[in-house]
Amino acid sequence: MELFSNLALGFATAASPENLLFCLIGVLLGTLIGVLPGIGATATIAMLLPITFQLEPVSSLIMLAGIYYGAQYGGSTTAILINMPGESSSAVTAIDGYQMARKGRAGAALSIAALGSFFAGTVSTFLVALFAIPLTAIALKFGAAEYFSLMIVGLVSSVALAHGSVVKALAMVALGLLLGLVGTDIYTGTPRFTLGIREYADGLNFVAVAVGVFGIAEILRNLEGEKTRSVLVHKVSGLWPTREDFRRMAAPVLRGTAIGSALGILPGGGAILAAFASYTVEKRVSDKPEEFGHGAIAGVAGPESANNAGAQTSFIPLLTLGIPANPVMALMVGAMIIQGIVPGPNVASEQPALFWGIIASMWIGNLMLVVLNLPLIGLWVKLLTIPYYVLFPIIMAFCSIGVYSVNSNVYDLYAVAFFGFAGYLLVKLRCEPAPLLLGFVLGPLLEENLRRAMILSRGDPTTFITRPISATLLLIALAVLVVVFLPSVRAKREEVFQEED
Amino acid sequence: MRRLHLTRRHALAAGLSLAAALALGSPAHADGFPDRQITMVVPFAAGGSTDVVARIVAQKMSDDLGQQVIVQNVAGAGGNLGADNVARAEPDGYTILMGTVATHALNPLILKSTPYDAEKDFAPISLLVVVPNVLIVNPELPVKTVAELVALLKAEPGKYSYASSGNGTPLHLSGELFKSMAGVEMEHIPYKGSGPALNDVIGNQVPIMFDNLPSSSGHIKTGTLRGLAVTTKERAPSFPEMPTVGESVPGYETYTWNALFAPAGTPPEVVARLNVAAGKALADPAVAERMTEFSATVVGSTPEELAAHVKAEIAKWTPVVRDAKIQLD
Repeated sequence: MELFSNLALGFATAASPENLLFCLIGVLLGTLIGVLPGIGATATIAMLLPITFQLEPVSSLIMLAGIYYGAQYGGSTTAILINMPGESSSAVTAIDGYQMARKGRAGAALSIAALGSFFAGTVSTFLVALFAIPLTAIALKFGAAEYFSLMIVGLVSSVALAHGSVVKALAMVALGLLLGLVGTDIYTGTPRFTLGIREYADGLNFVAVAVGVFGIAEILRNLEGEKTRSVLVHKVSGLWPTREDFRRMAAPVLRGTAIGSALGILPGGGAILAAFASYTVEKRVSDKPEEFGHGAIAGVAGPESANNAGAQTSFIPLLTLGIPANPVMALMVGAMIIQGIVPGPNVASEQPALFWGIIASMWIGNLMLVVLNLPLIGLWVKLLTIPYYVLFPIIMAFCSIGVYSVNSNVYDLYAVAFFGFAGYLLVKLRCEPAPLLLGFVLGPLLEENLRRAMILSRGDPTTFITRPISATLLLIALAVLVVVFLPSVRAKREEVFQEED
Repeated sequence: MRRLHLTRRHALAAGLSLAAALALGSPAHADGFPDRQITMVVPFAAGGSTDVVARIVAQKMSDDLGQQVIVQNVAGAGGNLGADNVARAEPDGYTILMGTVATHALNPLILKSTPYDAEKDFAPISLLVVVPNVLIVNPELPVKTVAELVALLKAEPGKYSYASSGNGTPLHLSGELFKSMAGVEMEHIPYKGSGPALNDVIGNQVPIMFDNLPSSSGHIKTGTLRGLAVTTKERAPSFPEMPTVGESVPGYETYTWNALFAPAGTPPEVVARLNVAAGKALADPAVAERMTEFSATVVGSTPEELAAHVKAEIAKWTPVVRDAKIQLD
C-alpha cells in the first residue's frame, strides 16, 4: 500500500525530536496569538519568516503550519470568553459561544470547541492524505460561474443566521454587501466608496470590521451598567461538558467536519465560509432552532469543527498545486521559496519526506493542541474573574496592536473604532452583526465572479445554467428559498420567533 | 538588446565595486550610519515574489550593516501606498523602499494622479534583480509555440481570453504589449493576484496567461501548464529550452525588476553605504543560488545606473500605456 508507506515516511519525518519541538513551538505560538484578539496568523508568520531561513525546510513549514491551525484553536477562546473573535473564522463561534459563557458555561463551550476541532482536524488530515490529488481536480472545475452560484447559495442561506426579523437580517446582509464594495474595482481600477482615502483602496480589513462589530460593540454594551459588567464573574460553573452535551454535539461535529473539509479546498475565505455555512445548516436541522443565538451547543460545535477542518484542507491546493488558498498559505509559499523549494505539483514526488511530513505533523499538532488546551480551560475561565475595568483596556490595547500589525495601516484602526460604534448602534436596534459579516465576505466574491463569468461568456447570462456544477448550485439555492417560504415551515418559523420574544 | 547588455554591465560593475570594497574597506564612510535598525518597506503583501527578494536581501544586508534590516509590508493601491510612505519618510536612510517596475515606471504612467514622483522623490540606491515573465497556456490549448498561438488568435479573433494578476500590473501590460505587437485580439481577465489567476489557467477556465516565471516554473516543469516563451530579450538560464517571445514577435521585451530606493534628500554617503551593503548581499553565493532557483537574475548597480534605468523604463512604457489606452483613476 503506497498510502501506508507514505504515511509511515511522514510520521517518521514529523516525529523526529527536532520536528516535534518545532511543531510544539508552532502550536503554542499559534494558540497564543489566536487568543490575543486581532493578532492573526498572517502577521505572526510574516514576522517569523526571516527566522525560518536558518531552519530545515520541513521543520520551518511544520512550525508555520502549527501556528496557523494553532491560531484557529486559540481564536475560539476569546470569541467564547469575551465575544472578541481572535481569528476571522471564529466570528461565528462568538454568536453562541459567548452566550454560553454568559450563562456560566464557558468551560463547557471551550471544551466542546477543542474536542470538535480535534475531531475535525483528525478527519480532515486523513482526507488530505487520502484524497489531496483527486480533490484538487474537483476544485479546479470551479470557474467564475460556479463560484458565483456557490456565493448565491451562501447568501440565500444566510437569512437563517439571523434569530430575529428576516427583514432586519436581509438589511444586514445588504449593508454587508455594500461595505464589501469599498475599494478598487478590479475590472476598471476605479476606487469606489473610498472617500478619497488611499488607505482604503484595497477595501476594508475584515479583521477590523469583525473586531469592531463584535468585540468593541460588546465592550461598549458591557460598560453601560454595573449589573451586566459583573455578570460573567459570578456564574462560572462546570468546566466540563455533561453527558447530554456530548450527545448533542456529536452530529453537529460530523456535519461541520464535512462542510469544512469541502469548502476549505476552495480558494478565498474557505474556512470563514465553512463556519457560516455550518451554523446555517445546524440551525436549519435543529429541532430547537430557538436556542440559536442564546447559547446553542450545536452553534459552537458545528462551526468550530467546520473552521478547523477548513483550515486543514486549505493546505490541499498549496501542497498539490503550490497555489495559496488564503493569505497565510501565500506566506507558506514564500517560506518554501526562501528555502529553495519551488511550490508546484512536483513537491509531492520530488520532496516526499517534506510533503508527507507536513501532513503527518498536522495530526500530531492537533493532538498537541487538544492536550494543551483542555488543561488550560480552567485558566482561561479564571480570566473572566478579572475585574472588567482592568480587562477591557487590555483587550482594547491588544486589539489595536493586532489589527495594526496586519497591514501597518492606521486607517484599519479608524475602521475598528467606527465599526465599534456602528456595532453598538446595531445591538441597540436589535440587528445581528453576523449576517452583515457574511455579506461583507461574500459581496466582493459575488461581484468579482459574476463579472468575470460574464466577461468570459462575452455577456451571455445562460453560462450560469448551462454549466452543470453552476446549475446544480443554483437549484440548491432555489430549494433553500422554497423551504424558507413554504407555508408550513414559515408557520413554524414564526412560532419559533414568537417564543423568543 | 541595449537594456539587457546594460544590465550585464551593471552586474560587472557591481562585482568590481564589491572587489574594491573588500580590498579597501568601505569606500564611503558615513559616520555612525547605521546606529539603529533600518526598515525596508515592501509595498506588496508578504509571500509574493517582491517580498521573497526583499527578505533574502535584507537578511544579508543586516550582516554587513551590523544593524537589523527589518522588512515591513505596506501593501495597497498596487504598491503606491508603500512607495508613498517611503517618499514622505525622513531622508536619513533608516526607511528604504523595495521598489519595482510597478511603483517606479508603470503606476505613474497608468494612474491619473500618483502621490509621488518616481524620479524626483527618491534617491536610487541599487538595482537588485531582474525577474522574467512568461507566456503560459493550458496544455489543452492546441498550440506549442508563440507563432501557433498568434495564428490561432488571428484565426478566431475575440474568442480567447488571457488572465493576469490584476489591472495595470506588469503582467497585464505584458499582455497588452503582446496584443499590440503581434496584432492579435484577446480579452483581458484580471484577478486579485497571480495565485487565483494561475488556478483558473490550470483548470482551463481561462486558457492563456502572462505570469512571473518564478510563480509558474513548477507547473511548467511538470507539464500542468505549457510555457510557450519567456518575455526577456534572452532565454532564462533556468529554462534554456524555452524560446523568448521576441524570437517570434521581434522587439518584444518585458520583465519585472526590483530595486532599492531611499527618500530624496538622503545624504549621498548614506546612500553609498547602503549600496555597498546591497552589493555585498547580491555577491553572496547563497543569495545568488536562491535567486537562480527562483528564476531571478542578480543584477546590482550603482545609484546613478539605477536612476538611468528608471528613466529608461518610463520612456519604454509610455507609448505602450498610451497605445493600450490603460488609464486608471
